[in-house]
Formats: sequence, structure tokens, C-alpha cells
Amino acid sequence: MSWILPEGASLGFEGLAAPLRIVRGLGGGTQGQVYEVDLEGERLALKWYLPACIARDGGLERRLVASIRATAPNEDFLWPIALLRASPASRPLIRIRDESFGYLMPLRPPAYVGACEHAAGRLAIGLRQVMRACFGLADAFHALHLAGLCYKDVSLGNLFLEPASGGILICDNDNVAVDGADHGAVLGTPGFMAPEVLLGQARPGADSDLFSLAVLLFRLLTRHDPLKGQMELAIRCLDEPARRRLCGEDPVFIFDPVDDRNRPDPIEHAAALITWPIYPRPLQALFEQTFCRGMKQPSRRALTGQWKQELARSLDRRSLCPACGQENFQASGAPALCWSCGAPLPEPITLRLPHGSVVAAPDNELHPHHFDALAGEDLRRPLARVVAHPQDPRRLGLRNLSSAAWSAETHDGRVQAVQPGESCSLAALARIQSPAGPIAVQRPIRPSPIA
Amino acid sequence: MPFPDVKLANRPLHFLYLCDCSGSMAASGKMQALNQAIRQSLPGMAAVARDNPEARVLVRAVRFADHAVWHIETPTPVDQLEWRDLQAGGITAMGEALKLVAAALQTPPMEVRALPPVLVLISDGQPTDDFAAGLEALLRVPWAQKAVRLAIALGHDADLEVLQRFIGTEPATAGRSPRRPLQASNATSLAQYIQWASTAVVGAASMPASRVSETPLEPAAGNIPLPDLPPTVLDPTDDVGPLVW
Ligand SMILES: Nc1ncnc2c1ncn2[C@@H]1O[C@H](COP(=O)(O)OP(=O)(O)O)[C@@H](O)[C@H]1O
Ligand SMILES: [Mg+2]
Repeated sequence: MSWILPEGASLGFEGLAAPLRIVRGLGGGTQGQVYEVDLEGERLALKWYLPACIARDGGLERRLVASIRATAPNEDFLWPIALLRASPASRPLIRIRDESFGYLMPLRPPAYVGACEHAAGRLAIGLRQVMRACFGLADAFHALHLAGLCYKDVSLGNLFLEPASGGILICDNDNVAVDGADHGAVLGTPGFMAPEVLLGQARPGADSDLFSLAVLLFRLLTRHDPLKGQMELAIRCLDEPARRRLCGEDPVFIFDPVDDRNRPDPIEHAAALITWPIYPRPLQALFEQTFCRGMKQPSRRALTGQWKQELARSLDRRSLCPACGQENFQASGAPALCWSCGAPLPEPITLRLPHGSVVAAPDNELHPHHFDALAGEDLRRPLARVVAHPQDPRRLGLRNLSSAAWSAETHDGRVQAVQPGESCSLAALARIQSPAGPIAVQRPIRPSPIA
Repeated sequence: MPFPDVKLANRPLHFLYLCDCSGSMAASGKMQALNQAIRQSLPGMAAVARDNPEARVLVRAVRFADHAVWHIETPTPVDQLEWRDLQAGGITAMGEALKLVAAALQTPPMEVRALPPVLVLISDGQPTDDFAAGLEALLRVPWAQKAVRLAIALGHDADLEVLQRFIGTEPATAGRSPRRPLQASNATSLAQYIQWASTAVVGAASMPASRVSETPLEPAAGNIPLPDLPPTVLDPTDDVGPLVW
């Protein structure tokens, strides 16, 4: 890579009191190059644009200034912090003739990896973490859309994941604009673009973001593309005109309940067939809504709030198969089989809360939105977590992650305090009174033993 | 518990170098520069391949001098590729090289389903055999018609007209790289073009990149929109690259 900014050098920028040390180049893309930089001991990232990109996109500087002023919708965006132009003294050190600029943003921590690592199957990540990442994505776009903004270029390339936690970070925020107001240059990334944008019938905005978001969620959850089924197999050379047909002119969802022209191939598209049945029906229905009716009617696409709700509920339903240990997300009530090994899943213990219920499985969490109807779904500040006993993983407890004591009541009427950080066993527990609200333990009604 | 062990479906992306190894390539270190440029480009190419899980990037190379022969005959994944140095000597059987590639792009041996192949022709002179017959044979093959064809002219003796016929004529669209042979007059610019072809172009052919409104969504004739050429990075100590070849 030939770096435009000299690695190791300290450069002065207009409006920055201290010089910025260019630590090293991190990568280059179609728009510019990204560097790790040091500003008075703080590590940040600097994106420096190629003059061709600035020339193509007249609104770029205006959008960046507006974003910097507006600040990030939430902490999952690697949001622009400051717009930088080289000081006259530093100008000659920049290795391109044409005038150019860049912006500072937070540096991605090393634990976060590009989401394409997951798509390629190279990441050790669990289903819970993938679903949490999906929730994080829906949550971030929810905040962005509520602020009246749209993102326009949702794709796998602009998302980073932390496999251990399912945390996310969204980069490349330089196309963000007020929805409907701006005529920025970007149209999106083919494969993620809404059909109406791909066909040139509409400009990207919040409605097309909803389509692209659903594609990205589908790709994270299934490691497959929602439009690649039999119709893709019929294409010999997958080039631009072919992608235009597949994703724009005649797009058909591979799991469309009515139109079966584009079903996955059992061998070529095995990923989709293996993973789709893992997800509960209400979550599948949101994909159908977006990729069937919403394909041609942008206003019918599932909204960020719906995704948040169903992803959070899916996480609440998570249980572990007693035979193989794999994670399942089946709706309660109906008898279910493990998607992985086929063993029957027993009816689990559930924690009944004022708003919803959570299956008692290790790592499942209770959140403020389970207690407060007005609180939006948020996974950042859990109040309690189901934990397995260190010696006997079948014995489950509930750990108090809140800052106030609980009072736990057993079946025989004994009451015990559970201090913050402490856990209580679920074995004999009937209910818990917590300042957030009551937690009732509901045990399955055992089938009567055969006489 | 781990996410199910499933992988994204992918398609092969065949990348072929057609390298002029005629005697003139021995002059002024051109052969060494080409060997170096290709070898140096491989890590970047491997990184692009890694980032595009939808593509399986496979590399081959043909050398042509008195005759055209495979330098790398087996389509080889980039991360397993070891570049053996090409040696210069002989005349310029470019037409024969095109015929060799034409045969390789027939189905079979080509897969039924693939991404558009990328063909990169590098030459410093004029063909000494029947170039027209070679080109005709090549362009009869559907995969060659679909291929992204690039040409790099080394030095001022290269036959630009022949290279232009290889890549095809196409009206230049506003804001995009014109479809003309790339002219390298020194080792630095050669290395930049090779790097561009093996990274940016491979990326564009394997996975679509962000589009801006100036990019025609329906390209006139080309089936893959070519990415911008590398910005000329001026080395402050060495200003513009020297005219060596
Ligand atoms: N804030 C950041 N911290 C660390 N790396 C980053 C950051 N933003 C982008 N990158 C990396 O820099 C490279 C190019 O970034 P990107 O902005 O996507 O370029 P482009 O949009 O031009 O394709 C990518 O490899 C990306 O992972
Ligand atoms: Mg990008």
C-alpha cells in the first residue's frame, strides 16, 4: 500500500492545537485511507479522502460537519469527531498534489473484527453472540432513524463484531444524512441495496436502510444471502447485469412462502437451509415482511423497533439442549425438538416478569425493559443473569446485577436477601421481589408419570 | 455453543496473467521489475481474497516468447501461490498466448458457474505471430467475452493498438477509468498497476463495492465497473516517477 500520509511523522492540522502523529496505515478502500493516529497520547483513527472521492461527492464536507455537530446516535458508531485539513506547514508532507481533507473518529479496539470474518465462517462465535450483534445493529439503526438520519450504505464491510460479547461497531459514517433532505453521492452496495435504489427509481433513505438492514441481519443469522437460491444457480457469470436482475428486476426471497421460484439448493445453499429453522417464527415473519411485501413496497418493511423487539424476545427464549448443549430459540408451549441433534427439548423453567418472560438458561439476562413497559429494549444494563453452579452446571441460580438488594422467597415461605453481586439458587425459589419489580419462577407442569 | 459450521456459498474467480517474456524484456531490468511487482502484489491480493468470502480467487499465468506456455497451469488459490521468476528470451508469440487462454476458458475445464474472470496482459513490444487469429479465438469463448480484460504496456515500444484491441474499445464513462492500456514507464508505476489489478479489480469482480451516483448502475458494455486507478502517490524525495523504459 502506498500511504498518502507519512507513517511516523507528526503533522499539523488547522483547528487542532497539538500535532497529530501518524502511527501507521490501517487500510485503504475505494474512498480513502484510514490511519491510526496519536493525539496527545490518545489513539484515534483518521480517514483521509482521495481527491477523486471528494470531487465526486460535493456534499461530503457539509455532511461531515453536520454529523460532527449532531454527535453519534449511540456509542456503537465510529462517529466523526473532527474534520481535518493540513496546516500550510504540513501540506508538502502529504503525498498527493490535490487539496484533500479527512476526519478523526474513535479507533476500533483490537477485539473487534470485520463482520465478513463471520460470513466466511472463520470466526469462533456463538448463536447468542450473533443474535446480540443483530440486536445491537437494529438498536443502532433505531437510534439513527429516530434522530431523523439515514445511513445509506449498510453492508458487511462497514460492520465490526466482537465475537466474545456480540458487541458491534459501525464504521464509514460519512454518508449519513438527514433522511430525504440530501442528495449525497452514495447509492449503497449491490447485494444490500433496496431494489428501487438499484434500479435508479429512488434515492437511498431510511426506507431503503430498512431493506439493507434486513439483508445484513439475514446474512449474520444464516451466513447466506436472502436472494441467492435457484435463480442464482441459473446464472453462469455473476456479473453486474446478472446482479441487477437477481437483486433489482426480479428479486425473490429464498423463503418466500408463496413464490417458490428461488428456493435454496440443498447442496449449494446448505447454510440457509440449516440455519433458517433455528429462528423462531415471529423473527422469520419479519424477514418475510421485508423481503416479500416490502420488496416492492418500501413502507411495508419491518421497522427497527420491530427487529429490536423480536430479537430481544428470541434471546429471552434461548434454552440449551440437554442432549447436545446447542442453543435453541423455540417458542414456549409447543413441544419442540433441538434443531441440531433432534432430541426433544423439555419445557424449561421460566422467569415471569411484568413485561415478558425469560427462560432460565445460563447467560440469559433480565433487563429494565422486562419490568418497565415504557423502557425500550436495551441489553446494555442487565439487572440479573442466570448462572450455572460452578460444580454442577445443571443447578441454576440468578445473580443480582443491580445495585439494590432483592428479597427471595422459597416455596416453603422462607425469605432471604440477595445482595448486589450475589446469586440465589433457582431450585427452591418461588419468587423474588426486586426494586425493579417482581420475578416469579414458573416450573413446567410435569406430565403425570405413567401408571 | 458455536454457530453452526456452515459456509457461505462461493464462486471461483479466475485471474490470469499473460506475460511477455521476449528478449526485449531482459533490457533495463523489465523482467525483474515484473517478477518483483507480481511477487509483491500477492499479499495484498490474498487479503482481498480473504475479505471476499463469496469468491474463491484462483491464479494462473502464461508466459510467451518463442512460444506460449503455462507458467502456472493449475488454478492456484492466492495464499498458496509461489511466484517463480520468469526468464526473458525469444520473440513475442502473443497470439499463441491468447489461444492457450482461450482453450483454458472453455467449459470444461471452466466451471459452469463463476465470477467474471480477470485477464491481465503485460507486454513491451509487438506480437511476432498471428495476433488477430489469437484474439479471434479468445473472443469466441463466452467466458473471455465476460472477462475483465486489462493490458499493461511496458515502456514506449509496446504496441498500444494491439493492447487496445485485447481490452476492447468502449466509450469512457464520466468519472471512471478510461478503458485504455495502462502505460508503465518505470518499476514503480508497473508495481502500482499490478497491485491495482490484483486487488481493486479482483475486489470489484468478486464482490460489489459501494456505488456512487456517478457510477453508471448499468454499465454500457463492461460487465464490471472498474475501480479508480491508484492516485498517483508522489514520493516527496523522488517527485514524479522517472521515465526509465
Ligand atoms: N475507526 C477505525 N478504526 C480502525 N480501522 C478502521 C476504522 N475505520 C476504518 N477502518 C479500516 O480501514 C480500512 C478502510 O476503511 P473504509 O472506511 O471502509 O474505506 P472505504 O470506505 O474507502 O472502503 C478498512 O480495512 C477498515 O477496517
Ligand atoms: Mg468502506
